[in-house]
Amino acid sequence: MLTVDTEGPGTGTAGSKPAGRSGRRYAPPGGWLPYVLIAPAVLAIVGILGYALVRNLLISFQAFGRRQLISHTTEWTGFDNYRRVLEDERFWASLTRTFVFMAANVVLIMVLGTLIGLLLNRLAKPMRLTLSIALVAAWAMPVIATTTVFRWLFDTQFGVANWVMRTLGFSGYEQHNWFSSGFSTLTIVTVLIVWASVPFVALNLYAGLTTISGEIYEAARMDGASGPRIFWSITAPIMRPFFLITTFLEIIWVFKAFTQIYALNAGGPNRESETLPVMAYIEGMMQNQYGVAAAISVLTLVILLVALSFYFRLILKQEKEPQS
Amino acid sequence: MKRTLMAALSVTAMTAALAACGTGDDGSGSSGGGGSSDSLTVWLMDGSAPEPWVTELNQAFEAEHGVTVDVQIQQWGGIQDRLTTALSEDGTVDVMEIGNTQTVGYANTGGLADLSELRDEPWNSNMLASAEIDDTLYAVPWYGANRVVIYDKQIWAEAGAEVPTTRDEWITALETIRDNTDAEPIYLPGQSYYVLGGFIADEGGSFAVEDGDEWKGSLNTPEGQAGMEFYAELQSFSDSPTDNDEASPQQSTDIVPNGNVASWIGLGWEANGAIEALGGEADFGYFPVPGKTADQLGNVFLGGSNLAVNERAGNPELAREWLALATSQEWAQKFVDANGGGVVPNRTDVTANPEAGSFAEAMVASADVGFLPPLTTGWANVEAVPNPIKELMTASLNGEDYASAAQAADSEITTRINRE
Repeated sequence: MLTVDTEGPGTGTAGSKPAGRSGRRYAPPGGWLPYVLIAPAVLAIVGILGYALVRNLLISFQAFGRRQLISHTTEWTGFDNYRRVLEDERFWASLTRTFVFMAANVVLIMVLGTLIGLLLNRLAKPMRLTLSIALVAAWAMPVIATTTVFRWLFDTQFGVANWVMRTLGFSGYEQHNWFSSGFSTLTIVTVLIVWASVPFVALNLYAGLTTISGEIYEAARMDGASGPRIFWSITAPIMRPFFLITTFLEIIWVFKAFTQIYALNAGGPNRESETLPVMAYIEGMMQNQYGVAAAISVLTLVILLVALSFYFRLILKQEKEPQS
Repeated sequence: MKRTLMAALSVTAMTAALAACGTGDDGSGSSGGGGSSDSLTVWLMDGSAPEPWVTELNQAFEAEHGVTVDVQIQQWGGIQDRLTTALSEDGTVDVMEIGNTQTVGYANTGGLADLSELRDEPWNSNMLASAEIDDTLYAVPWYGANRVVIYDKQIWAEAGAEVPTTRDEWITALETIRDNTDAEPIYLPGQSYYVLGGFIADEGGSFAVEDGDEWKGSLNTPEGQAGMEFYAELQSFSDSPTDNDEASPQQSTDIVPNGNVASWIGLGWEANGAIEALGGEADFGYFPVPGKTADQLGNVFLGGSNLAVNERAGNPELAREWLALATSQEWAQKFVDANGGGVVPNRTDVTANPEAGSFAEAMVASADVGFLPPLTTGWANVEAVPNPIKELMTASLNGEDYASAAQAADSEITTRINRE
């Protein structure tokens, strides 16, 4: 929900960076046409997201289970759901897990994506094309399809991962269960998400790099700068807006990752790989505790907003600096 | 541009949805329900009723009442979500089949009509327990089914193993097969929790017990532990991983037909599925799950289905008529006959005459020692994924300490079972 909301402006900023931002919103409207054109989109977002958000918020203050759903009754219970969630150890465990999981994923995605993006920039044409195709293929793969394939790769009895480990001479991979602990499950989810997210970073970085004039690098090299030095002193500062906004997007995407975690092992074993979105789903849809699940998702939203507000301020500050 | 397109699409979709709601509202009201006043919508589960029986029954009903009956076959997967949705809206379904363990979960939701006028029919008392809550009849028993041991006669003959009548003989037979053949003596996945429930019931225990007004998990008990120990003993004869249940992979179509499985525990439709997958060439024998002694068969989970009427049914009288007809002595007997005696009858005035050596014969033998899981609204929450009993089974089979794993499972069961 949140992402669709933020994704729009996000990609917009990435695409048309220098425009906007000046005091445009204070200027009188340039005719009605722009408003008419944007109205369907705004109405759809308000109708679909806005309605769902408000409804979710209302449900979070109600006792809402199967009985209330079927008999169409409304029972207001104030902050009962929130109290239950906040007193539940599982919520705090999930919260910690979600943040650690998100941090690990985002760091890996950004580091690997950057390295591959830099590689793309240096490759000759045939290899660059090959690598690009491979990246686009990974990026374009439907999530459920990749998840199913990963499930097979790491299958206990017939999985190729066990076969590879055995062939490499490791013992203990006869029927090794890769999904036997939350950590192991989330590690596989991490491999899956990183693999599928790196292309976005790599291809965008490459696109950005092509706009940097080669003369700057040439000058740096003349001055005797090493590779890492060139990256940290030239590429990184020029590409800073890209890094900030991409990290911002990846944080949101990984934070709300649901399909991969749920489809791989349903948050198991023993709910050990449950992140907040998965917890909300299991409590709500599987346990018919819609009120509690609504409270979890509202809390998730608030936590994400608070976490990102710091980050957003950072982005705004960094963007202003070069100008002043 | 993409967003505008999406927006346009969304608006179109919303308009369509609103339009659909509109017609729905027009149709419902006093005459709506599953259709109009001259039709009845019935949901039956996949594999429940033989096609000829349904057709014949509906012809009889249509002839008498002049209405058409629309029978829609539903799949078990995700059925609870569909039932919940159907019961919360007008104009969906009039009569539906509900699994016997799921019935109680809908009893206090206000979604099922009170059928107490049918209370005095001679129902099978074991089955009635799953349909009657606090002296109100929310559904009517339709049929029962339970698991038996299915074995490959050829492998057993080759090994020289004999059909057991006690647990000890059962283990001896499995050892014989292990020693004399290269077949898997028994296929038993790690999380077949209804099989475990039977072993716990053999000890006199159960998944959960009533404690005053509340329920609490009762797996961390000597009975629970003894049941699990026997399960683990059996499971040690199987090549199956410990973290799967009988449905994933589906034992009847994905495991057994691949060969070399000397025996497995399954339901009638699973046995038929395996025979079909083997091209009809299986030579299966059947025996009831043995008990501790020869004079006492092992407890098995009494599965089955009830029929219920939607409280929002468009034409409640017709819906009740159909349900009463389908479960009447005449049609219940026809139902049992159409199934070749392969179901446990819902009424005491209906008899099943299964063929000798058939699945049905072994199944009916243990119908009297059937057990039901705790009959309370919250039980559906316990069974929902992730099921704490399954997690306990995997942990225990993987060598974790039973008492601490069972304690964790009990506290999870207690939390969930007391929720509505």
